Amino acid sequence: MDMTAEGLAYFGRFGVDEALLRAALAQALSRGGDFAELYFEHRVAHEVGLEDGAVNRAFLHVSLGVGVRVVQGDQTGYAYTEELTRERVCEAAGTAAIVASGAPLPGPRAFEVRGRPDRYPVAVDFESVGIERKMPILSEINHLAFAQDASVCKVTVGYADSDGAMFLVDSDGRTAFDRQPMARLSVGCVAERNGRRESNHHNLAGREGFEFFTPERIHKVTHEAVARTIFCFDAGPAPAGEMPVVLAAGSAGILLHEAIGHGMEADFNRKGVSVYSDKLGKRIAGDEITIVDDGTQPHARGAINVDDEGVEGQRTVLVQSGILETYMHDRISAKHYGVAPTGNGRRQSFRDPPLPRMRSTYMMPGSVPPEDIVKSVKHGVYAETFTNGQVMIGAGDFTFYIKTGYLIEDGKLTRPIKDTNIIGNGPQCLERTDLVGNDFKLDEGGWTCGKDGQSVPVSIGMPTVRVSAITVGGVNS
Amino acid sequence: MSTLLDQANEAAKLAQSLGADEARVGVSRSRGVEVEWRDGRLERVQERTRRGLSVELFVDGRYAAMSTNDLRPEAVRGFLTEAVAMTRLLEPDPHRCLPDPAMYAGRAEVDLDLSDPTQASVTSESRRAAAEQLETLLRAGAGDLPIVSVTSSVDDDSGESARVHTNGFEGVRTGTHFSRSVQVTVLDKDGRRPMGWAYTVRRHQAELQVLETIAREAREMALRQLGSGKLATGKYTLVVDRQSVPRLLGAFLGPLSGSALQQKRSLWDGKLGEQIASDKLTIVDDPFRVRGLGSALWDGDGFATKKRPIIERGVLCTYLIDDYYARKMGVAPTGGSTHNFDWVLGEKDAAGLVADVGEGVYIDRFLGGNSNGTTGEISLGCAGRVIRGGVLCEPVAEINLAGNFGEIWRALVGVGNDPDSNSSAGCPTCVFEGIQLSGT
Repeated sequence: MDMTAEGLAYFGRFGVDEALLRAALAQALSRGGDFAELYFEHRVAHEVGLEDGAVNRAFLHVSLGVGVRVVQGDQTGYAYTEELTRERVCEAAGTAAIVASGAPLPGPRAFEVRGRPDRYPVAVDFESVGIERKMPILSEINHLAFAQDASVCKVTVGYADSDGAMFLVDSDGRTAFDRQPMARLSVGCVAERNGRRESNHHNLAGREGFEFFTPERIHKVTHEAVARTIFCFDAGPAPAGEMPVVLAAGSAGILLHEAIGHGMEADFNRKGVSVYSDKLGKRIAGDEITIVDDGTQPHARGAINVDDEGVEGQRTVLVQSGILETYMHDRISAKHYGVAPTGNGRRQSFRDPPLPRMRSTYMMPGSVPPEDIVKSVKHGVYAETFTNGQVMIGAGDFTFYIKTGYLIEDGKLTRPIKDTNIIGNGPQCLERTDLVGNDFKLDEGGWTCGKDGQSVPVSIGMPTVRVSAITVGGVNS
Repeated sequence: MSTLLDQANEAAKLAQSLGADEARVGVSRSRGVEVEWRDGRLERVQERTRRGLSVELFVDGRYAAMSTNDLRPEAVRGFLTEAVAMTRLLEPDPHRCLPDPAMYAGRAEVDLDLSDPTQASVTSESRRAAAEQLETLLRAGAGDLPIVSVTSSVDDDSGESARVHTNGFEGVRTGTHFSRSVQVTVLDKDGRRPMGWAYTVRRHQAELQVLETIAREAREMALRQLGSGKLATGKYTLVVDRQSVPRLLGAFLGPLSGSALQQKRSLWDGKLGEQIASDKLTIVDDPFRVRGLGSALWDGDGFATKKRPIIERGVLCTYLIDDYYARKMGVAPTGGSTHNFDWVLGEKDAAGLVADVGEGVYIDRFLGGNSNGTTGEISLGCAGRVIRGGVLCEPVAEINLAGNFGEIWRALVGVGNDPDSNSSAGCPTCVFEGIQLSGT
């Protein structure tokens, strides 16, 4: 089925038809411009929560609207409306057109006929699942968590599902329609021993239907949340200062996301404000380092069939064997650089213009057995789980927060550590990433990336690596 | 056209007619425009026109909530029907009910003056002109500062919301915001591109800081990052910029919430009335500040707000417990919201405090990091300048602050006379002694 027909079929229930599309595009092009686009979105989300042993709260969120964008050169006009009447959509289109300054242009002669990949087929539609089938998942997790360790004193569980439909048409006749499911399960845990309390949490997410909530995932998310909480009783602060850090495979991908990912988003480079602005084609890392941003992994949280500008989601090699190959582009930056868009144009919702954003960002595995990487460190830190990170794009300084890990002494994991931030400089940290493990893990956590006030779901992945020296924000006794 | 209050009452009645025993309804709408200007050209014009309906449902001792911006009557009826049916299937929660109406009483009769009528007449042309002027002012004073790019932004919005509880609460409020911001990226000798930024935000247009001030602050922030070096790991006296203090304060106050206490995720459990910070710290929550960014006559539960001390000379005066968690804990609610903070201020500005400190580090921005409200552990990236001989010297970056935020606030030794007028937290410059920084 082609995406134009699918989009009209879906949004027809809200009064969207071809006449409305044509009228709004004509209004958007009333002052010219390079292109204009309409982005319709409808999203229905459910959340169910457990606290103090009872599944006693639920939330239903509905969001509907259309964003209109007019682009001329690097300039963007943007407006949206939450009422899908012809009058309101045309009004928004007129507002967005303010950015252009030429003669009116004709709209598309015809809308293209195009299919799309299917990277997250849904077996059990959320719409078909009542809350009575969701509630036992939360109760079971609560039961499992208390059964796992006698010191557990509080458990919270959050279930979330979301079904979003997007429909895009632009003045070139390009169209895109996609259904974007998301499932998420999160568990918080507090434990008490001898009057001391520790807390931690874990979550899993992916683009799937209700079939996401398998017994394996239910057990895994619970086990991790409890185990990571109990771990904290034996853990203390990391030491302070510059030292080697070994990053465990998986969620350490947050390092890539912060240290170099954002800096390779092309809008920052187009403006000259990224530390990577003049590094295209140059060596920025060792031979063994290849970094990919990928929208194609089946059911990954960061997967996209098409991006929010209608460009097919794809696998983009950012760094090949240490050489910076390409930035991540949206349509504006691709035109600026004279290259094809890379399918990285993403937005939080119809209320926001698209920006170059990451999808699933990871490092390809190298050649070193992970145990040899740990053995290579005399005194340092092994970082195992992470919560969040941030970066200053231009200066390159970035941080990521280690929730749990270990001290490494004479090549062995020794004292457990927790709650320690790490700060480094992106390009320097990449240069100092000198050992790359032959393992690899794509993390299944519910990672969310923020930029310009917009949040989008992403994935991260990493083999075990060693960074030869980076500042560990611990405490010296 | 019906008023928002009428719409809220209608939705509440509809919820009850569909089976809810009680309901709490919010209806809102807002309109805002942002103009972004970059390097001599318009970059983006963005208009935001939002509306929304939210309904909390209390059905047979059970609780659920829904929100939607699809306000077509048949759609709203459909969502509410689905939500009521969903609520009936949940497990009961004896603590979920509307607040005692006695808590609604005593609403202060103050005109908070949160809406500036001139917002309606702001034109796109005037926004564009202000954004352009901001860039011009920044570049005009830049001398030989190696500027790569300047982005400025002018934003304003106006909003209205109405709230109804079926046991007698009604409230309507309106408000406007105006903001101006600018960021400048400069090229350092080693190829790094540090950025300086500044902003001003107000309820009324006429109270915005002048553009010259914003332009100068952003320029100075960029300038003082050029040639950043690293710092030796150690314990230092810190002078923390007033715009960065909220990061430390937020970590400190977060565990005062009812949910943190009841869920055993608070290191402040059992500390009411005890000294939890230095006696230099006094924070009073003032909901009634005229034109205040955080002002409100009622809180999230509909309780009439009151001016009250949170911390007085370091002693914890109150928890922040909302109605639901108060019922769960079996205590009287103290109100879960805070509004504008009044500090007991010191005598000196940032430069005076730096001079008094003599040797230490001035922290002017935090980067990432996190804290643990159960234990108090905190670890934050930061940057700033070395203080030597009572003056700001070379810039330092890629450093990290760590410790326990309780201990950090007990190490507060000085408070400035310079509260930040661009934030409801109103933080002044703060001085802390003996804080662990990691560097080389």
